[in-house]
Amino acid sequence: MQAGWLKQAWWLILAAVVGILAPHIISEFYLMILGEALIMSIFALAFNLLFGYMGQLSFGQAAFYGLGGYTVAMLLTKLQFNFWLSLVAGILVAGIVGLIVGYFCVKLRGIYFAILTLAFGQLLFVIIYKWHDFTGGDDGIQGVFPPEALKAPISYYYFILIVFAASVYLLWKVVNSPFGYVLKAMRENPERTEFLGINIARYQLMAFVMAAALSGLAGALWAPFYRSVAPFHLMWVKSGEPVMATILGGSTTFFGPVVGTFLMTFLHAYVLGFTYFWPVIMGSFILVVIFLLPGGILGFAQEKLRERSFKAMTPEGRDQDAP
Amino acid sequence: MSLDVLFNQFMSGIARGALLFLVASGLSLTFGVLRVLNFSHGSLYMLGAFLCYSIWAHLLLPALGFYLATILSALIMGAAGLLIELFLLRRLYNRGWPEQLLATYALILIITDLVKWRWGGEFLSIPRPKPFTGAIFLFDFPFPAYNLFVIGLGAALAVFLWWLVYRTRLGDIIRAAAHDREMVSALGIPIPWLFTWIFVLGSVIAGLSGAVAAPFGSVALGMDIEIIVECFAVVVIGGMGSLPGTLLGAFVVGQVYSFGIMYKPELALAFIFMVMAIVLIIRPWGIFGRPER
Amino acid sequence: MKRRVSKGGLALFALASVLVAFAQPGLLSAQDTIKLGAIWGFAGPCHMLSESAVKGIKIAVEEINAGGGVLGKKLELIVRDTEMKVDVGAREVKDLILREKVNFLEGPCSSGVALALQVIHSEYKVLRITTMANTEAQVVDKFSPYVVQIVPNTYMEAIAATRYLHKRYPKAKKFCTIAPDYEFGRREEAAFAEEIKRLVPEAEIVYEAWPKPGEKDFTSFITAIMAKKPDAVHSSLFGGDLVAFTKQAAPYGFFEKIPFMALYDLPVLLALGADAPDGVMGFGRGCFFMDPNPKMMEFAEKYRQLHGVYPDSWAVQGYDGVCLLKAAIEKAKSTSTEEVIKAMEGLSLDSLRGKFSIRALDHMGTVPCYQGVIAKDPKYPFKIWKDISRIPGEEVIRSEEGVREVWKKTGVVR
Repeated sequence: MQAGWLKQAWWLILAAVVGILAPHIISEFYLMILGEALIMSIFALAFNLLFGYMGQLSFGQAAFYGLGGYTVAMLLTKLQFNFWLSLVAGILVAGIVGLIVGYFCVKLRGIYFAILTLAFGQLLFVIIYKWHDFTGGDDGIQGVFPPEALKAPISYYYFILIVFAASVYLLWKVVNSPFGYVLKAMRENPERTEFLGINIARYQLMAFVMAAALSGLAGALWAPFYRSVAPFHLMWVKSGEPVMATILGGSTTFFGPVVGTFLMTFLHAYVLGFTYFWPVIMGSFILVVIFLLPGGILGFAQEKLRERSFKAMTPEGRDQDAP
Repeated sequence: MSLDVLFNQFMSGIARGALLFLVASGLSLTFGVLRVLNFSHGSLYMLGAFLCYSIWAHLLLPALGFYLATILSALIMGAAGLLIELFLLRRLYNRGWPEQLLATYALILIITDLVKWRWGGEFLSIPRPKPFTGAIFLFDFPFPAYNLFVIGLGAALAVFLWWLVYRTRLGDIIRAAAHDREMVSALGIPIPWLFTWIFVLGSVIAGLSGAVAAPFGSVALGMDIEIIVECFAVVVIGGMGSLPGTLLGAFVVGQVYSFGIMYKPELALAFIFMVMAIVLIIRPWGIFGRPER
Repeated sequence: MKRRVSKGGLALFALASVLVAFAQPGLLSAQDTIKLGAIWGFAGPCHMLSESAVKGIKIAVEEINAGGGVLGKKLELIVRDTEMKVDVGAREVKDLILREKVNFLEGPCSSGVALALQVIHSEYKVLRITTMANTEAQVVDKFSPYVVQIVPNTYMEAIAATRYLHKRYPKAKKFCTIAPDYEFGRREEAAFAEEIKRLVPEAEIVYEAWPKPGEKDFTSFITAIMAKKPDAVHSSLFGGDLVAFTKQAAPYGFFEKIPFMALYDLPVLLALGADAPDGVMGFGRGCFFMDPNPKMMEFAEKYRQLHGVYPDSWAVQGYDGVCLLKAAIEKAKSTSTEEVIKAMEGLSLDSLRGKFSIRALDHMGTVPCYQGVIAKDPKYPFKIWKDISRIPGEEVIRSEEGVREVWKKTGVVR
């Protein structure tokens, strides 16, 4: 049993080792990209709790991401608030706004859910953008510094890594809990789940708040990482990023959004090094994945593996596999 | 506030609404039939505007150049729509709508760079065509003639679409397909081709509205992102896929914005999204829309 | 079982190769070039301005290298794109600093991005010359010793424009403003309000319109402004937005009824062509026709032969930025950031826009501001300005006491 678990998780351990050793191997610039990828992975994982597990596409997730960032930035720069408490406040504000927005959104399904989240996201964006005296309007807020101990890139990287690992663990627990099974059951067959006496709206609202709070955490991590926030972080274009990452990586797998985010972030950083024609490369990349790797990169790979192991069990498969 | 001032502000809102209707009607039409939310509609609109500029600049016909360029760019965008439908969307109908959405999102990115590469991101402008260069006086207050042209074109498009949807056999099929796809294909009507032509029509409308917008304002990179969210607001308020709904949505957004600018200019933009959110909360499928089954 | 191992091996190999690819390049030996990182935004409304700026920068770099470089070292230009997004900009500036190891920076396009970059490159102690993003916050509110600004800042530009407007329409008392709703527009209009009340104590701003940047339909704004019947309108609209505004306002007889002033520079006049309204006031930062001195015209001719168009102010300022850097390095006889900064302070440059100097206190260049009135000129196929006024930066720059006062409020210590 124990050994079987190890066999399953060898790559997790490998990833952890690489994550811990990375600062000593790669240059500061790529360490920073790695940190960015980890933050955006939390964001994408939060999105996928709604999309992959609950079956609802949110196109306004950036609003919560941005709110988390703004809360931290404003508490740190205007009130010189404690850093750790600011992070918690960022999660709380995103979660509470998520509760209000979610209350209306979870009543809807499919494309209507996507559009209502888009509308709320844009509303929050416009409020932050236009409320110049309070939020700084378009300029955003600069000079958001983490405490002295986390100022160095390496220490902030380790901080991100720890938060990332904790978020992954938490989400993993959630999706493999009875709560997670109910979410999946609702995705597959909402009528039957309702019939079983389960209040769909309440479960979906809980998931929505969780995703909002986690997105807020990602934003709260980003602001001190790059020392600033801007209204752009709440815009629908930003909301598109976790959507792209998740569908690229594979929404049916737990780590799909992480794979998609890593690919996107590193590719982006690499491509911008020599051309400004990034959008066309990203656009073509999306189309290639959609057409050639249905289910996303990780989803497609998993599907292929499953097919192969299935084949291996049948007589013909075994023949082929024999040396 | 005197009545003529209010009337003028109202007319400004009508002009804005007409332009929004031109763009949004194509979006609404494709959604109503194909059930695909075409994110790239705004990009086709932008491409239409840039094409119109280039053709106009090439033709050098003072009187007719613009009208010819408009027709040509609408047709070219129709052809582009045909290619997009045949090679992209058609292969995705059996997949989930999120993938269709993402595919059209990818098109935004590709078209942005196409424009960047071909036109270099310069902002361009076409002078207003004759005979719509000057102003017409309404109650002693000037009103730009070109705005009247845009309003007239919006009205003409509304009538044409109404005729198409409610008075032709194709319209019967369109409405039936919006209700029940299986039923229509059971009747022996080739759904794929219906989808193709509706998407082409939507693209023609996008190209046409882009071309018409060129003399109205300026042609610049970024006008795609600018218009598409406002179009979403229009179709969502009115009801996605509903023609009268789009008309109403465009009217509401135009007026809310216009009077918002007059009384609370800093909040005008927020008002639109507030209206959108309120409508979505009360009637998620929009004022004239039908609930999704 | 065997397959599992091979899969693991494959994954390990892939990871290892990725790590190797991104591994530390190792410290190169002493650089024999001076690296200039140009960080601009190649998206949306910024794209065209950034293209122009890079063209101007390239000409300067080539000229300097052809003349033997600076202190015997060649200049090397590395261009990066912010996509007009703060997060991309923040990352790309780190890329320039950490991976490309640039010595100096020039850019960016938008003020919001500039403020976000400022925190980062100041932390890494890299000097940036800002030649387009012109918010005064860069040198005043959020002063950083690692910024030198040689584009008229929002304060100077608006003060100068207001004086010109007042000189031409001394009796105007009732004003409206219309400006894009972001850092640049807000600061310009705040400075306008300050200066017009100084010039005309009974002046009143009856309506402020804040369209979003990128707005293409101004009809409702135009009718709302006309309903207020102002004596004059001050605007900091620019680029494609100003083109749209001008075309939409003209049929209302707006420009015949109301004196209007906005950022009518070369690209706007080119796009408008015959639609550019004669007699309307413009302000600008130094397109070739605003300051037709011999040095400028020589540059303009060179630029035109290379690119087929006349240089706008973005190209002129990009060029001046590189020249300033060269002068400072030569004065410091070093490429070390701290010494170049010291050399910059008080440095006087004979630029394309005439002489200006860098004020030691806040690193603001006393660059000139230009105003004029749109008019035809038989020499050019497009409209330019007449009655051009060149207000030297010294006359409109915020006073040193004024700067210190702001610093007291924002907590800058210097």
